[in-house]
Amino acid sequence: MKKCQYADQIDDYLLNRLEGAAKEQFEEHYFNCPDCFQAMEERDALISTIQSRGAWIFKQKPAAERRDWVPAWKRAVSSFTPRQWATVGAAALVFFFVVFGVLPRFQGQSPQFVLSDNEVVRGESLTLISPVIDVKSVPSTFEWQQLGEDVEYKIFVYNSELLWSASTKDTRIVVPEEVKSHMVAGQKYSWQVKAFSAKGALVAASSKVQFQISAGS
Amino acid sequence: MSAQVDLDEIVVKYRPVVSFKVKKSLGVRTPDWEDVVNEVITQVIEKVTKGEFRGESSIGTFIYTITSRRIIDHIRQKTKVLKGIPEPKALPDPCENAENRERARVLAEAIQQLKPKFKEVLNLYYYQELSREEVAARLGISPRRVSERINYAQKLLRKMIKP
Repeated sequence: MKKCQYADQIDDYLLNRLEGAAKEQFEEHYFNCPDCFQAMEERDALISTIQSRGAWIFKQKPAAERRDWVPAWKRAVSSFTPRQWATVGAAALVFFFVVFGVLPRFQGQSPQFVLSDNEVVRGESLTLISPVIDVKSVPSTFEWQQLGEDVEYKIFVYNSELLWSASTKDTRIVVPEEVKSHMVAGQKYSWQVKAFSAKGALVAASSKVQFQISAGS
Repeated sequence: MSAQVDLDEIVVKYRPVVSFKVKKSLGVRTPDWEDVVNEVITQVIEKVTKGEFRGESSIGTFIYTITSRRIIDHIRQKTKVLKGIPEPKALPDPCENAENRERARVLAEAIQQLKPKFKEVLNLYYYQELSREEVAARLGISPRRVSERINYAQKLLRKMIKP
């Protein structure tokens, strides 16, 4: 269907942008052209609705949009242009190159941790050998498993408080007579060994083991 | 010699056209616009019956001329009557009756569902009343494209609100 030459003036007429002879000509035309009149009525309804309800139409989010919630990342991804996709790809390549290619070459030395007396090393363990159960007489030696070369061991013997402490590079230590004289039958004792590196850093600590000297000894 | 026309057809076909022209000229809030329409239709019937329509112009142009003159007379008459009298309080918009309100609500909701590019052009052109060229410059498209978008939006809306 051929478009009427006056059809382009509908908006201008309805928006009061036609004046004088042009306006009269257009009005006379729509009195004679049912198609233009129909189109004008339809456009008038659209313009009236927009002008009376524009604030609501253009400032509120549509109800359907609110219902169909889409996660922010999905909206961002769907709105990416090919150029943005290319940028994301390049950034990912740089990231993987830095993480797996460059950073491993600049890895520094592992940090050294120093434990306090109350802390226990959960890596290497120091195992106590004797005494670990009740004994019939006052023990003359304490013995434990070797941990490694150039390790200094420090032994702690407790009753209710620290009774004796000594250091050695050996894996056993002889109890001095004066200490033995303080250890009596029927009393409970506990002992622990801590291992130190050549630089004096604590590298392992045993658990505290309790033993009792039999009352009949 | 008078031209042969069907009076019933005239009334059915031209009442909406005359009403549109009268409302546009007097404003939809003018309380007696319907009286003016009735007067125009009556005059048309009288003149055609008396043989004053001779077919020298189309019946549309004949009715348009009568409508324009009646509107001018009405405005002159009202100006005389209202001179010195305070402006009457505006009457409620007769278009805002329940049926029209519902139609406008449906249309408004349909406009909201349009894609942003269509809503934007309707907002700028009809709500903010920018010129076609201003809208084109704002959106970075040609003025012709503005018209095309509006026409396409109208087409979409027609489909959306089709009963």
